[in-house]
Amino acid sequence: MTTRRQVQTTTRRRKLQASQELSISAGEPPTGRFRLMMRHGDWQPIGEVVLRHRCPSRLDVKQQAMDLFADACVERGWVRDEDRSWLVLCLDEAITNAMLHGNEGDPRLDVEIALAADAKRWQIAISDQGQGFTMASVPDPDNPDSLLLEHGRGIRLMRAWLGSLTYWRRGATVVLSRRIAAPS
Amino acid sequence: MPLPSGHLIIQAYDRIVLVQVTKDRLLEMPVITAIGAELIDLLERHAKPSIILDLSQVAYLSSAMVGKLIALYKGVVGAKGRLAVAGVRADLMPLFKITQIDKLIRFYPDAQQVILEYKRKPL
Repeated sequence: MTTRRQVQTTTRRRKLQASQELSISAGEPPTGRFRLMMRHGDWQPIGEVVLRHRCPSRLDVKQQAMDLFADACVERGWVRDEDRSWLVLCLDEAITNAMLHGNEGDPRLDVEIALAADAKRWQIAISDQGQGFTMASVPDPDNPDSLLLEHGRGIRLMRAWLGSLTYWRRGATVVLSRRIAAPS
Repeated sequence: MPLPSGHLIIQAYDRIVLVQVTKDRLLEMPVITAIGAELIDLLERHAKPSIILDLSQVAYLSSAMVGKLIALYKGVVGAKGRLAVAGVRADLMPLFKITQIDKLIRFYPDAQQVILEYKRKPL
């Protein structure tokens, strides 16, 4: 028999779980399977980390980092060559956010990027040295009032292609993830 | 007046202003900022402009550049002008649909088509 205390504990646990998986109201993404989450704690790679790169928060070194990770994914066949531009776009959005918003453009602060994969998915984790953010500060791209905003479209762009976009460390690490491309 | 970014070719015929973007990657922030400033400056130099933005040479474009297009659109509306985007590559078009820019700005396959339409229907 379930006691009142057990019910309260279960309810608390569910509320905590819900608060850890904050989904922004973003409508149905093109794939229908997209997930955007804010999680507590540190990111744990799903498999072996095959590439790590650290660079200062300087936009002139961003391109090199983007090419490094895009090449690594395409060469391994995890991303199709024809999808490379989508991957570059997502990397650009995430690395720019880490450099300009996370590290507030301070060149003394680094951005660290890591690529990991298991048999089914690849992940690219981008970490900055900032304080993170809250989902409430992200404009809801589906709100009609957001249509004329000049910022806040990065997440909408990324979710169009990625399988999931997960934030860790209060938003100071973002993990881009997608299924490994089927052999063509 | 901002310094020319070096990434735009601007030709004006009466109130029709054709802007060709010559850079293929619109990802770097200094490039985007310079292009954005140059586009907004068009509104200072042309009354009620009919602007055509030719993106046929653009292969990559970030959300920051999309923001500059929104700023240009708002400026054009404020100046009682009009704005069209031409020549967007097929693989880039989803980006404009995802960000819903296609709900604000009209897209055409090529600039010539817009020039003809603007000439047929002057402001």
